[in-house]
Amino acid sequence: MKWLLIASIPVYLFGSFKRPIFALAVLVELVYLASRGIGLGRLPLIGPQDTLAFFSCSIGLMALPFLFTRELAEEEGLRWSCGALAAFFAGLALPFPTLNMPLPPVLDTYWFELHVALAFFAYALFGVGALLGGAFLLKGRRSLLDLQYRAALTGYSFFSLSMVSGGIWGYYAWGTYWLWTPKELWTSILWLFYSLFLHLRAKGSSWDKGFAWLGIVGFVVTLFTYLGVSIFMRSSHSF
Amino acid sequence: MLKTLYLRLISLNLGLWLITGVMLALAAGSFSQGAAEGGGLNEMPLFAWLLGAPVGFSWWLWIALALLAPLTLNAILCSIEALRKGRSLAPQLMHLGFLFIVLAHLLSAYGGFKQQFQLPEGGSLGFPDGERLLVENISGVAGPMGMLSSYQARMRIGNGAASGVEPNHPLFHKGYGIYLKQVELVPVPVALIEVHREPGAWAALAGALFFTLGNLMLLMQRRGKPQ
Repeated sequence: MKWLLIASIPVYLFGSFKRPIFALAVLVELVYLASRGIGLGRLPLIGPQDTLAFFSCSIGLMALPFLFTRELAEEEGLRWSCGALAAFFAGLALPFPTLNMPLPPVLDTYWFELHVALAFFAYALFGVGALLGGAFLLKGRRSLLDLQYRAALTGYSFFSLSMVSGGIWGYYAWGTYWLWTPKELWTSILWLFYSLFLHLRAKGSSWDKGFAWLGIVGFVVTLFTYLGVSIFMRSSHSF
Repeated sequence: MLKTLYLRLISLNLGLWLITGVMLALAAGSFSQGAAEGGGLNEMPLFAWLLGAPVGFSWWLWIALALLAPLTLNAILCSIEALRKGRSLAPQLMHLGFLFIVLAHLLSAYGGFKQQFQLPEGGSLGFPDGERLLVENISGVAGPMGMLSSYQARMRIGNGAASGVEPNHPLFHKGYGIYLKQVELVPVPVALIEVHREPGAWAALAGALFFTLGNLMLLMQRRGKPQ
Protein backbone atom coordinates (compact mmCIF):
# COMPACT_ATOMS: atom_id res chain seq x y z
CA MET A 1 0.00 0.00 0.00
CA LYS A 2 3.06 2.30 -0.16
CA TRP A 3 1.63 3.67 -3.41
CA LEU A 4 -0.97 5.52 -1.33
CA LEU A 5 1.79 7.45 0.45
CA ILE A 6 3.45 8.15 -2.91
CA ALA A 7 0.10 9.23 -4.40
CA SER A 8 -0.54 11.71 -1.59
CA ILE A 9 2.55 13.74 -2.58
CA PRO A 10 1.36 15.02 -6.01
CA VAL A 11 -2.16 15.51 -4.62
CA TYR A 12 -0.70 17.78 -1.92
CA LEU A 13 1.70 19.54 -4.30
CA PHE A 14 -0.69 20.17 -7.18
CA GLY A 15 -4.08 20.26 -5.47
CA SER A 16 -3.58 21.97 -2.12
CA PHE A 17 -4.75 25.31 -3.53
CA LYS A 18 -8.28 23.87 -3.23
CA ARG A 19 -9.49 22.86 0.20
CA PRO A 20 -11.38 19.70 -0.87
CA ILE A 21 -8.28 18.40 -2.66
CA PHE A 22 -6.13 19.16 0.39
CA ALA A 23 -8.64 17.14 2.44
CA LEU A 24 -8.44 14.34 -0.16
CA ALA A 25 -4.64 14.16 0.22
CA VAL A 26 -5.05 13.89 4.00
CA LEU A 27 -7.61 11.11 3.50
CA VAL A 28 -5.23 9.20 1.19
CA GLU A 29 -2.50 9.39 3.87
CA LEU A 30 -4.95 8.33 6.57
CA VAL A 31 -5.95 5.27 4.52
CA TYR A 32 -2.24 4.45 4.07
CA LEU A 33 -1.56 4.71 7.82
CA ALA A 34 -4.72 2.75 8.64
CA SER A 35 -3.66 -0.05 6.28
CA ARG A 36 -0.20 -0.12 7.90
CA GLY A 37 -1.79 -0.11 11.34
CA ILE A 38 -4.19 -2.96 10.51
CA GLY A 39 -1.33 -4.99 9.03
CA LEU A 40 0.89 -4.45 12.06
CA GLY A 41 -1.83 -4.60 14.72
CA ARG A 42 -0.56 -1.36 16.25
CA LEU A 43 -0.07 2.31 15.39
CA PRO A 44 2.76 2.66 12.84
CA LEU A 45 5.13 4.70 15.00
CA ILE A 46 8.45 2.86 14.85
CA GLY A 47 11.33 3.73 12.52
CA PRO A 48 11.95 6.73 10.27
CA GLN A 49 9.53 5.67 7.51
CA ASP A 50 6.51 5.28 9.73
CA THR A 51 7.22 8.31 11.90
CA LEU A 52 7.84 10.60 8.91
CA ALA A 53 4.62 9.39 7.25
CA PHE A 54 2.75 9.87 10.53
CA PHE A 55 4.25 13.37 10.87
CA SER A 56 3.26 14.25 7.30
CA CYS A 57 -0.32 13.07 7.85
CA SER A 58 -0.44 14.93 11.20
CA ILE A 59 0.52 18.17 9.41
CA GLY A 60 -2.37 17.71 6.96
CA LEU A 61 -4.80 16.71 9.69
CA MET A 62 -3.87 19.54 12.07
CA ALA A 63 -3.87 22.13 9.26
CA LEU A 64 -7.41 21.22 8.16
CA PRO A 65 -9.37 23.04 10.91
CA PHE A 66 -7.28 26.17 10.30
CA LEU A 67 -7.66 26.07 6.51
CA PHE A 68 -11.44 25.85 6.87
CA THR A 69 -11.69 29.00 9.04
CA ARG A 70 -13.29 32.10 7.53
CA GLU A 71 -10.04 34.08 8.03
CA LEU A 72 -8.12 31.76 5.70
CA ALA A 73 -10.82 31.28 3.05
CA GLU A 74 -8.82 33.25 0.46
CA GLU A 75 -5.33 32.11 1.56
CA GLU A 76 -4.47 29.79 -1.33
CA GLY A 77 -0.73 30.32 -0.82
CA LEU A 78 -0.93 29.28 2.80
CA ARG A 79 -2.94 26.19 1.87
CA TRP A 80 -0.30 25.23 -0.67
CA SER A 81 2.47 25.81 1.92
CA CYS A 82 0.75 23.44 4.36
CA GLY A 83 0.34 20.90 1.56
CA ALA A 84 3.97 21.30 0.48
CA LEU A 85 5.16 20.80 4.07
CA ALA A 86 3.11 17.60 4.37
CA ALA A 87 4.35 16.44 0.93
CA PHE A 88 7.97 17.15 1.92
CA PHE A 89 7.84 14.85 4.92
CA ALA A 90 5.88 12.18 3.00
CA GLY A 91 8.65 12.30 0.37
CA LEU A 92 11.33 12.13 3.06
CA ALA A 93 9.73 8.93 4.39
CA LEU A 94 9.91 7.06 1.09
CA PRO A 95 13.62 6.04 0.94
CA PHE A 96 13.52 4.43 4.38
CA PRO A 97 12.58 0.75 4.79
CA THR A 98 9.45 -0.12 6.75
CA LEU A 99 9.93 -1.91 10.06
CA ASN A 100 7.35 -4.65 10.22
CA MET A 101 8.41 -6.36 13.42
CA PRO A 102 6.13 -6.56 16.45
CA LEU A 103 6.70 -3.95 19.14
CA PRO A 104 9.45 -4.81 21.63
CA PRO A 105 7.73 -5.71 24.93
CA VAL A 106 8.73 -2.45 26.63
CA LEU A 107 7.04 -0.37 23.90
CA ASP A 108 3.93 -2.52 23.82
CA THR A 109 1.65 -0.23 25.82
CA TYR A 110 -0.99 2.40 25.05
CA TRP A 111 1.02 4.98 27.03
CA PHE A 112 3.84 4.73 24.47
CA GLU A 113 1.48 5.07 21.49
CA LEU A 114 -0.31 8.00 23.12
CA HIS A 115 3.03 9.65 23.94
CA VAL A 116 4.34 9.45 20.37
CA ALA A 117 1.06 10.27 18.58
CA LEU A 118 0.48 13.37 20.74
CA ALA A 119 4.06 14.52 20.15
CA PHE A 120 3.54 14.35 16.37
CA PHE A 121 0.24 16.25 16.58
CA ALA A 122 2.12 18.93 18.53
CA TYR A 123 5.04 19.02 16.07
CA ALA A 124 2.51 19.37 13.23
CA LEU A 125 0.74 22.27 14.93
CA PHE A 126 4.09 23.99 15.54
CA GLY A 127 4.73 23.60 11.79
CA VAL A 128 1.33 25.06 10.90
CA GLY A 129 2.01 27.88 13.38
CA ALA A 130 5.34 28.63 11.68
CA LEU A 131 3.61 28.88 8.29
CA LEU A 132 0.97 31.20 9.75
CA GLY A 133 3.77 33.32 11.25
CA GLY A 134 5.45 33.48 7.83
CA ALA A 135 2.16 34.50 6.22
CA PHE A 136 1.77 37.28 8.81
CA LEU A 137 5.27 38.59 8.05
CA LEU A 138 4.41 38.66 4.34
CA LYS A 139 0.89 40.13 4.56
CA GLY A 140 0.71 41.82 7.95
CA ARG A 141 -2.85 40.63 8.66
CA ARG A 142 -3.40 40.49 12.41
CA SER A 143 -5.80 37.52 12.14
CA LEU A 144 -2.89 35.36 10.89
CA LEU A 145 -0.99 36.08 14.10
CA ASP A 146 -4.03 35.21 16.20
CA LEU A 147 -4.30 31.88 14.37
CA GLN A 148 -0.57 31.30 14.89
CA TYR A 149 -1.10 31.78 18.62
CA ARG A 150 -3.99 29.29 18.58
CA ALA A 151 -1.91 26.72 16.67
CA ALA A 152 0.97 27.12 19.13
CA LEU A 153 -1.28 26.94 22.20
CA THR A 154 -3.05 23.80 20.95
CA GLY A 155 0.31 22.28 19.97
CA TYR A 156 1.74 23.15 23.40
CA SER A 157 -1.25 21.43 25.02
CA PHE A 158 -0.71 18.27 22.96
CA PHE A 159 3.01 18.42 23.69
CA SER A 160 2.47 18.78 27.44
CA LEU A 161 0.08 15.80 27.37
CA SER A 162 2.68 13.87 25.39
CA MET A 163 5.26 14.60 28.10
CA VAL A 164 2.80 13.49 30.79
CA SER A 165 1.97 10.22 29.00
CA GLY A 166 5.69 9.70 28.31
CA GLY A 167 6.43 10.18 32.01
CA ILE A 168 3.76 7.65 33.00
CA TRP A 169 5.05 5.18 30.40
CA GLY A 170 8.63 5.74 31.61
CA TYR A 171 7.63 5.13 35.22
CA TYR A 172 6.01 1.78 34.39
CA ALA A 173 8.58 0.74 31.78
CA TRP A 174 11.93 2.08 33.01
CA GLY A 175 11.30 2.78 36.68
CA THR A 176 11.57 6.53 36.31
CA TYR A 177 9.44 9.30 34.81
CA TRP A 178 12.59 11.07 33.63
CA LEU A 179 15.86 10.02 31.98
CA TRP A 180 18.75 12.34 31.20
CA THR A 181 19.12 11.64 27.48
CA PRO A 182 19.72 14.16 24.67
CA LYS A 183 16.17 13.51 23.41
CA GLU A 184 14.63 14.41 26.75
CA LEU A 185 16.86 17.46 27.12
CA TRP A 186 15.66 18.73 23.73
CA THR A 187 12.08 17.85 24.61
CA SER A 188 12.46 20.10 27.68
CA ILE A 189 14.04 22.82 25.54
CA LEU A 190 11.11 22.65 23.09
CA TRP A 191 8.56 22.79 25.93
CA LEU A 192 10.38 25.73 27.51
CA PHE A 193 10.59 27.46 24.13
CA TYR A 194 6.84 27.33 23.61
CA SER A 195 6.25 28.31 27.27
CA LEU A 196 8.33 31.42 26.51
CA PHE A 197 6.55 31.93 23.19
CA LEU A 198 3.09 31.86 24.76
CA HIS A 199 4.16 34.18 27.61
CA LEU A 200 5.52 36.60 25.02
CA ARG A 201 1.96 37.24 23.83
CA ALA A 202 1.48 39.26 27.02
CA LYS A 203 4.06 41.81 25.76
CA GLY A 204 1.50 43.30 23.41
CA SER A 205 1.46 44.32 19.75
CA SER A 206 4.96 45.85 19.79
CA TRP A 207 6.21 42.26 19.73
CA ASP A 208 4.03 41.09 16.81
CA LYS A 209 6.88 40.63 14.32
CA GLY A 210 9.16 39.09 16.93
CA PHE A 211 6.32 36.74 17.88
CA ALA A 212 5.87 35.64 14.27
CA TRP A 213 9.61 35.09 13.83
CA LEU A 214 9.85 33.11 17.07
CA GLY A 215 7.05 30.85 15.80
CA ILE A 216 9.28 30.03 12.83
CA VAL A 217 12.32 29.48 15.09
CA GLY A 218 10.13 27.19 17.21
CA PHE A 219 9.57 24.88 14.26
CA VAL A 220 13.34 24.71 13.70
CA VAL A 221 13.73 23.67 17.36
CA THR A 222 10.92 21.15 16.79
CA LEU A 223 12.70 19.62 13.80
CA PHE A 224 15.95 19.40 15.73
CA THR A 225 14.15 17.69 18.61
CA TYR A 226 12.53 15.18 16.26
CA LEU A 227 15.20 14.60 13.60
CA GLY A 228 18.37 16.42 14.69
CA VAL A 229 18.80 14.51 17.94
CA SER A 230 18.44 11.18 16.14
CA ILE A 231 20.88 12.20 13.40
CA PHE A 232 23.55 14.13 15.31
CA MET A 233 23.45 12.69 18.82
CA ARG A 234 23.65 9.27 20.40
CA SER A 235 20.43 8.69 22.28
CA SER A 236 18.61 5.48 23.14
CA HIS A 237 15.46 7.58 23.05
CA SER A 238 15.06 8.19 19.30
CA PHE A 239 13.19 6.67 16.40
CA MET B 1 14.41 49.37 47.53
CA LEU B 2 12.55 46.24 48.64
CA LYS B 3 9.66 47.25 46.39
CA THR B 4 12.01 47.62 43.41
CA LEU B 5 13.45 44.19 44.11
CA TYR B 6 9.95 42.70 44.40
CA LEU B 7 8.86 44.33 41.12
CA ARG B 8 11.95 42.92 39.43
CA LEU B 9 11.25 39.46 40.83
CA ILE B 10 7.67 39.39 39.55
CA SER B 11 8.47 40.87 36.15
CA LEU B 12 7.61 38.98 32.96
CA ASN B 13 10.94 40.05 31.47
CA LEU B 14 12.88 38.31 34.24
CA GLY B 15 10.87 35.11 33.66
CA LEU B 16 11.51 35.25 29.92
CA TRP B 17 15.26 35.80 30.34
CA LEU B 18 15.52 33.00 32.89
CA ILE B 19 13.66 30.57 30.60
CA THR B 20 16.04 31.57 27.79
CA GLY B 21 19.01 30.94 30.07
CA VAL B 22 17.76 27.48 31.12
CA MET B 23 17.15 26.57 27.47
CA LEU B 24 20.65 27.66 26.45
CA ALA B 25 22.26 25.78 29.35
CA LEU B 26 20.38 22.57 28.49
CA ALA B 27 21.12 22.97 24.77
CA ALA B 28 24.84 23.45 25.42
CA GLY B 29 24.79 20.57 27.87
CA SER B 30 23.11 18.22 25.41
CA PHE B 31 26.26 18.42 23.25
CA SER B 32 28.62 17.92 26.20
CA GLN B 33 30.12 14.68 27.46
CA GLY B 34 28.24 15.07 30.71
CA ALA B 35 24.87 14.41 29.06
CA ALA B 36 26.14 11.50 26.98
CA GLU B 37 24.51 8.21 27.81
CA GLY B 38 27.05 6.12 29.64
CA GLY B 39 28.20 9.20 31.54
CA GLY B 40 26.49 7.83 34.64
CA LEU B 41 23.84 10.54 34.90
CA ASN B 42 21.00 8.00 34.86
CA GLU B 43 22.71 5.54 37.17
CA MET B 44 22.38 7.47 40.44
CA PRO B 45 20.32 10.27 42.00
CA LEU B 46 21.05 13.60 40.33
CA PHE B 47 22.50 15.29 43.43
CA ALA B 48 24.88 12.38 44.02
CA TRP B 49 26.04 12.64 40.40
CA LEU B 50 26.42 16.43 40.62
CA LEU B 51 28.57 16.17 43.76
CA GLY B 52 30.74 13.42 42.30
CA ALA B 53 31.12 14.46 38.66
CA PRO B 54 33.92 16.83 37.59
CA VAL B 55 32.66 20.36 36.91
CA GLY B 56 33.85 19.92 33.32
CA PHE B 57 31.03 17.37 32.96
CA SER B 58 28.34 19.00 35.08
CA TRP B 59 28.74 22.78 34.52
CA TRP B 60 25.65 23.02 32.32
CA LEU B 61 23.44 21.41 34.96
CA TRP B 62 24.79 23.72 37.67
CA ILE B 63 23.95 26.70 35.46
CA ALA B 64 20.48 25.33 34.68
CA LEU B 65 19.82 24.78 38.41
CA ALA B 66 21.11 28.24 39.29
CA LEU B 67 18.65 29.74 36.77
CA LEU B 68 15.76 27.44 37.73
CA ALA B 69 15.85 28.63 41.36
CA PRO B 70 14.94 32.28 40.57
CA LEU B 71 12.59 31.09 37.80
CA THR B 72 10.68 29.05 40.40
CA LEU B 73 10.49 32.09 42.68
CA ASN B 74 9.36 34.22 39.73
CA ALA B 75 6.56 31.74 38.94
CA ILE B 76 5.40 31.64 42.59
CA LEU B 77 5.37 35.43 42.99
CA CYS B 78 3.72 36.03 39.59
CA SER B 79 0.93 33.60 40.48
CA ILE B 80 0.35 35.18 43.90
CA GLU B 81 0.26 38.62 42.27
CA ALA B 82 -2.15 37.42 39.54
CA LEU B 83 -4.48 35.82 42.10
CA ARG B 84 -4.42 39.01 44.22
CA LYS B 85 -5.51 40.96 41.15
CA GLY B 86 -8.30 38.42 40.46
CA ARG B 87 -6.90 37.21 37.14
CA SER B 88 -7.80 33.88 35.53
CA LEU B 89 -7.05 30.76 37.56
CA ALA B 90 -5.95 28.66 34.53
CA PRO B 91 -2.36 29.97 34.10
CA GLN B 92 -1.86 29.82 37.89
CA LEU B 93 -2.83 26.12 37.89
CA MET B 94 -0.28 25.58 35.11
CA HIS B 95 2.34 27.39 37.23
CA LEU B 96 1.38 25.17 40.17
CA GLY B 97 1.86 22.10 37.96
CA PHE B 98 5.32 23.37 36.96
CA LEU B 99 6.21 23.93 40.64
CA PHE B 100 5.15 20.39 41.58
CA ILE B 101 7.28 19.00 38.77
CA VAL B 102 10.29 21.00 40.04
CA LEU B 103 9.54 19.56 43.51
CA ALA B 104 9.35 16.05 42.01
CA HIS B 105 12.80 16.42 40.47
CA LEU B 106 14.21 17.75 43.76
CA LEU B 107 12.80 14.80 45.73
CA SER B 108 14.04 12.24 43.20
CA ALA B 109 17.42 13.99 42.82
CA TYR B 110 17.90 13.69 46.60
CA GLY B 111 16.32 10.36 47.51
CA GLY B 112 16.17 8.33 44.30
CA PHE B 113 17.61 4.83 44.15
CA LYS B 114 18.45 2.42 41.34
CA GLN B 115 20.25 -0.92 41.41
CA GLN B 116 20.45 -3.87 39.03
CA PHE B 117 20.43 -7.54 40.02
CA GLN B 118 20.88 -10.64 37.92
CA LEU B 119 18.89 -13.47 39.45
CA PRO B 120 18.28 -17.07 38.34
CA GLU B 121 15.13 -19.03 39.19
CA GLY B 122 15.15 -19.52 42.96
CA GLY B 123 17.41 -16.47 43.44
CA SER B 124 16.45 -13.75 45.90
CA LEU B 125 17.37 -10.26 47.09
CA GLY B 126 16.79 -8.46 50.38
CA PHE B 127 15.09 -5.11 51.10
CA PRO B 128 16.21 -2.73 53.86
CA ASP B 129 13.16 -3.75 55.94
CA GLY B 130 14.45 -7.33 56.02
CA GLU B 131 11.89 -8.81 53.60
CA ARG B 132 13.17 -10.90 50.70
CA LEU B 133 12.11 -11.00 47.07
CA LEU B 134 12.18 -14.48 45.58
CA VAL B 135 12.21 -15.16 41.82
CA GLU B 136 10.14 -18.35 41.52
CA ASN B 137 9.88 -18.74 37.77
CA ILE B 138 11.22 -17.08 34.58
CA SER B 139 9.60 -17.63 31.18
CA GLY B 140 9.47 -16.09 27.71
CA VAL B 141 8.07 -16.55 24.22
CA ALA B 142 10.37 -16.24 21.20
CA GLY B 143 9.03 -14.34 18.19
CA PRO B 144 9.50 -15.31 14.51
CA MET B 145 12.86 -13.47 14.37
CA GLY B 146 14.23 -15.42 17.34
CA MET B 147 14.07 -12.53 19.82
CA LEU B 148 11.83 -12.77 22.87
CA SER B 149 8.49 -11.18 21.98
CA SER B 150 7.32 -11.38 25.58
CA TYR B 151 8.82 -12.45 28.89
CA GLN B 152 7.79 -12.53 32.51
CA ALA B 153 8.90 -13.67 35.94
CA ARG B 154 6.85 -14.86 38.89
CA MET B 155 8.08 -13.20 42.08
CA ARG B 156 7.09 -13.38 45.73
CA ILE B 157 7.92 -10.97 48.54
CA GLY B 158 8.14 -12.60 52.00
CA ASN B 159 5.11 -14.79 52.59
CA GLY B 160 2.89 -12.71 50.28
CA ALA B 161 1.11 -13.87 47.15
CA ALA B 162 3.16 -14.49 44.00
CA SER B 163 2.98 -11.75 41.36
CA GLY B 164 3.70 -11.86 37.64
CA VAL B 165 6.20 -9.18 36.63
CA GLU B 166 6.74 -8.25 32.98
CA PRO B 167 7.78 -5.17 30.96
CA ASN B 168 5.42 -2.25 31.77
CA HIS B 169 3.99 -4.22 34.72
CA PRO B 170 6.40 -3.78 37.65
CA LEU B 171 5.89 -4.97 41.19
CA PHE B 172 5.71 -2.31 43.92
CA HIS B 173 6.81 -2.83 47.51
CA LYS B 174 6.99 -0.13 50.20
CA GLY B 175 8.11 2.68 47.88
CA TYR B 176 10.32 0.47 45.70
CA GLY B 177 9.49 -0.61 42.14
CA ILE B 178 10.79 -3.97 40.92
CA TYR B 179 11.25 -3.99 37.13
CA LEU B 180 12.00 -6.90 34.85
CA LYS B 181 14.44 -5.48 32.29
CA GLN B 182 15.64 -8.53 30.40
CA VAL B 183 15.46 -12.30 30.40
CA GLU B 184 17.82 -15.00 29.13
CA LEU B 185 16.36 -18.51 28.90
CA VAL B 186 19.50 -20.48 27.95
CA PRO B 187 21.65 -22.07 29.31
CA VAL B 188 19.60 -21.43 32.48
CA PRO B 189 16.77 -18.91 32.93
CA VAL B 190 18.16 -15.65 34.32
CA ALA B 191 16.35 -12.35 34.90
CA LEU B 192 17.89 -8.89 34.91
CA ILE B 193 15.96 -7.00 37.56
CA GLU B 194 16.14 -3.31 38.42
CA VAL B 195 14.96 -1.94 41.73
CA HIS B 196 13.99 1.74 41.67
CA ARG B 197 12.81 4.25 44.20
CA GLU B 198 11.34 7.50 42.85
CA PRO B 199 10.28 9.63 45.80
CA GLY B 200 9.22 12.40 43.43
CA ALA B 201 6.78 10.31 41.39
CA TRP B 202 3.66 11.42 43.34
CA ALA B 203 4.66 15.09 42.96
CA ALA B 204 5.26 14.60 39.22
CA LEU B 205 1.81 13.07 38.83
CA ALA B 206 0.19 15.83 40.91
CA GLY B 207 2.05 18.42 38.83
CA ALA B 208 0.90 16.77 35.60
CA LEU B 209 -2.73 16.81 36.80
CA PHE B 210 -2.61 20.48 37.90
CA PHE B 211 -0.90 21.49 34.66
CA THR B 212 -3.34 19.56 32.47
CA LEU B 213 -6.36 20.96 34.34
CA GLY B 214 -5.05 24.52 33.96
CA ASN B 215 -4.18 23.88 30.33
CA LEU B 216 -7.69 22.61 29.53
CA MET B 217 -9.23 25.60 31.32
CA LEU B 218 -7.01 27.95 29.32
CA LEU B 219 -7.99 26.27 26.04
CA MET B 220 -11.68 26.65 26.93
CA GLN B 221 -11.18 30.32 27.79
CA ARG B 222 -9.28 31.06 24.58
CA ARG B 223 -11.85 29.36 22.31
CA GLY B 224 -13.01 31.84 19.73
CA LYS B 225 -11.01 34.68 21.27
CA PRO B 226 -8.05 36.30 19.54
CA GLN B 227 -5.96 36.17 22.77
